[in-house]
Amino acid sequence: MANSEYFDVSVFFILFRETLEASIIISVLLAFLAQGIGNTDGDLAVYRKLVRQVWFGSLLGFSICLVLGGICIDAWYRLGKDVWSASEDIWEGVFCIVAGLIISYMGLAMLRLNKMKGKWRQKIANALAETDGRTTISSFSSKYAMAILPFVTVLRESVEAIVFIGGVTLSASPTAVPLSALAGILCGSAVGYSIYQGGNHMRIQIFLILSTCFLYLVAAGLMSRAVWYFENYDWSQLVGGDVAEVGSGPGSYDIRKSVWHVNCCNPLIDGGWMIFNALFGWQNSATYGSVLMYNLYWVAVIIAVCLMLYKEKHGHFPVFNKYKTVADDEIDMTLPRSIAGACAPEESDAGAVGPSSSTYNDPNPYGLGSSSSHLLSDVDDNEIGQSSAGTSLDVDRESLRSGTDAADDSDPLGISCATVLSAN
Amino acid sequence: MRAFSLLAALAVSATASLAATVQYDFSVEWVQANPDGAYDRSFIGINGAWPPPPIECDIHDRVIINVTNNLGNEPTAIHFHGLFMNGTNSMDGPVWVTQCPVPPGSNIIYNFTVDQPGTYWYHSHFSGQYPDGFRAPFIVYDREEPFTYDVDTYLTVSDYYHDSIPWLSANKFLILTNPTGAEPIPDAGLFNDSQNIKFKVEPNKTYKIRIINMGALVSQYIWFEDHDFQIVEVDGIYVEPAEASMIYITVAQRYTILLTTKNSTDKNYPMIASFDTDMMDTLPEDLVWNVTGWLTYDENGDFPEPALIDEYDFYDDFNLVPHEKEEPYEPDYSITVDVSMQNLGDGVNYAFFNDLSYVAPNVPALYTVMSSGNDSTDATIYGSNTHTYVLGYQEVVEIVLNNFDPGKHPFHLHGHVFQVIERSDASPDDETFLIYNPDEPGTINEYPMRRDTVYVRPNGYFVLRFVSNNPGVWFFHCHIEWHLQQGLALTLVEAPAEIQAQQVIPDDHYAACKAGGYGFEGNAAGNTVNLFDLSGENLQPKPLPAGFTARGIVALVFSCISAFVGMGFITWYGLSDLKTTEREVAAIVGEPLDDSDESK
Repeated sequence: MANSEYFDVSVFFILFRETLEASIIISVLLAFLAQGIGNTDGDLAVYRKLVRQVWFGSLLGFSICLVLGGICIDAWYRLGKDVWSASEDIWEGVFCIVAGLIISYMGLAMLRLNKMKGKWRQKIANALAETDGRTTISSFSSKYAMAILPFVTVLRESVEAIVFIGGVTLSASPTAVPLSALAGILCGSAVGYSIYQGGNHMRIQIFLILSTCFLYLVAAGLMSRAVWYFENYDWSQLVGGDVAEVGSGPGSYDIRKSVWHVNCCNPLIDGGWMIFNALFGWQNSATYGSVLMYNLYWVAVIIAVCLMLYKEKHGHFPVFNKYKTVADDEIDMTLPRSIAGACAPEESDAGAVGPSSSTYNDPNPYGLGSSSSHLLSDVDDNEIGQSSAGTSLDVDRESLRSGTDAADDSDPLGISCATVLSAN
Repeated sequence: MRAFSLLAALAVSATASLAATVQYDFSVEWVQANPDGAYDRSFIGINGAWPPPPIECDIHDRVIINVTNNLGNEPTAIHFHGLFMNGTNSMDGPVWVTQCPVPPGSNIIYNFTVDQPGTYWYHSHFSGQYPDGFRAPFIVYDREEPFTYDVDTYLTVSDYYHDSIPWLSANKFLILTNPTGAEPIPDAGLFNDSQNIKFKVEPNKTYKIRIINMGALVSQYIWFEDHDFQIVEVDGIYVEPAEASMIYITVAQRYTILLTTKNSTDKNYPMIASFDTDMMDTLPEDLVWNVTGWLTYDENGDFPEPALIDEYDFYDDFNLVPHEKEEPYEPDYSITVDVSMQNLGDGVNYAFFNDLSYVAPNVPALYTVMSSGNDSTDATIYGSNTHTYVLGYQEVVEIVLNNFDPGKHPFHLHGHVFQVIERSDASPDDETFLIYNPDEPGTINEYPMRRDTVYVRPNGYFVLRFVSNNPGVWFFHCHIEWHLQQGLALTLVEAPAEIQAQQVIPDDHYAACKAGGYGFEGNAAGNTVNLFDLSGENLQPKPLPAGFTARGIVALVFSCISAFVGMGFITWYGLSDLKTTEREVAAIVGEPLDDSDESK
């Protein structure tokens, strides 16, 4: 997607999004530390050490990713060059589809990033508690646990980014990658930081919505262009090589498939229109295929959004009843073992359903292996979110509320034992 | 002295009274032949033989050709290229101009006198038919020609397609997947409808060789190794002998040369005809675009391969001086046409004179003249797409042709020879065009060269002038068969009132029309009642849509709407609360569910 020599929109958005996730995790981690340890006088030194660990881990992960990325891109370009020219249109079409699918896939998840902060709170708490057998947070036996989590997270996000960038930059100019990547990283960090700061939720959400809309415009354009490239390939096979001579005039397109054709504004040769093409899929010579694809893509997005909303509301996709929950009384709504243990909860009398001290095994404490873009499916990972949970949770809420003080700002993460205990 | 002039007068009158009638019966049929050794294919032959026989006569003879179309699947017609047909315009031959196509099973008689000496040829003038083999020399002998020689013979050159022209046209050429109008590439070249010919010559003799290019597309460079020659006639016009070693002959042109053979018989010399490869869109690797023969002094000797040459150093026919010298005419009436190739709405590439691509009418133009009374001088009745000009009688007509195409084109005018007043060079590059400017004329020779087929250079121009002293309907067109099919033609109706007064269409010509179900009276649309009502006439395809049509606007608007609706849904998704997860998280962590928008 070479929309200019020095900037590539897809690369920018991929890195923006990956950096955003990584920075959310790191910011949560830092805030957690600040709250959990920074307050206590005696552990200030420990706090600072742990903070340094966090940064060290992140930066290490980042550096490794840069090296890996460099190697990958270099290897790819060396191998990929000659395969290219024979059927360039087909390659371009395939790359557009790949890029479009990638963007579509991760786009909607971005809109849940903000709300997933709470999700991440829990995961990190689990992770930290799992790393040692001890029950208290303030004493670590494995000194570098605070480094490992960000390291692994950053590394995972980066590898994802590399794979995605590899996919979308196959047709971009190599010079476009550094600037776009840098811009994406900076923007992602900035937004992640502002989410950490707890800035106005609404403003951040609006920003995320706008950027997602834009992202989907780009993806729709990419899918449309892919179809256009395939049809262009067909046409040049039929005409047999004279197509290049004809420029953008008559004969450069198949009139039987043409929906519109203007002799100007050709994105293949005109710089400004090239950007219009990169952002919105504009072609000076549109075919039935490319126009239909554009519209069908938006229809697919609309359907996807409706399905997501349905699932969030009801806990499952429409029709797919087998993902429905087990019966109410079998729900395994458990607290993390360590927290539960550390805070010595009493038996709750909230009812048959509710948080209990039975074991909870987060099979995936560091979130390794699961793509962070599966933020929505993370809900399923934790075996929560069954439809009947709704009713039971309502019951819980009532019971919880009765025993709870108002939210305490000194404990934004709500992890401290006091909060946990008071909830019970 | 008196006796001599008396004798001369007697001789002349004797010659005149000796004007004979030459009669041919042609049965036009399909014949199998294999001129280049590749494989047999069907050719259009005459009386069971291919190549068709030459027609030979003496000057002032009457020629009668009785043609029966036994092809079975195609109509036909014969044009006698270069003959003026003075007073017998109906014998000229191009379909829809002077006659109807002669349908299979039908018959037509061409009956005319020939009052011009020289080298001509006859060929089918129906829709790209002649390259399928229907062409041969037409020689008019003249005892009073202004030069001497020992042997009078002819030599034809041609390009050769393995496939039939109608098939090539419909499947490779006039289709939308050929948007640049690339002409099909010939498969071989032929000398006398054969290859590797042995042209038997004796030493110390002067041969008059009439060279005719009967091809469909390519011009040819022709030379005889180690032999120079004199050009003495072009297209039936005697010229002052011009020394040359190589000629450039386009399709339909003729050059007659005098070649004097060498003293000894120890060697044979190659003679070569080489394609002008500029005229072909691509150069396939397996194409042999030279054809070779030998001036055979010694049949038992070696036949050496021709030597390679560095450049084509040919004689520019613009500089030939006619034997009967004329000074440049001053024009009374001028026609300016711009040649271009463009695509029309069916995606096919067509050829244009100005903005018209020739489309044949429903009634031959000559028959429209004969059936239109006083309206015959109004060009409208001849059709909107026949590009017809009505010319007066005994006027000097000028044709200025500006070539906006980067290719060479040989143009031919029926019924006349013309003075070639100017012919520009090719323009220096593809983007510039040389256009005739009468105020800044180029080179004009003192006695302009005359002929009936002349080529224009890429992006250049030429200027022709002739006297409209031959009432008739005359076709002016590019003689590249592909371009004629693309419509590079126009019609000149010359002195229609005189045609009506002086000429008669034979019944068998009308009978051929009726046999084929074709119109033979009325205007170009076949309307005999109102000659100015042209509804139903044949028109060129619609132009390509320029810019957005209704369909395009609808598509664009609809796409924008889908995008906005899609983004609306995304926004809705973004703003909606994630109630379920919040509850769960709150439950696990044990804190109160926070429904507010404040982040924690």
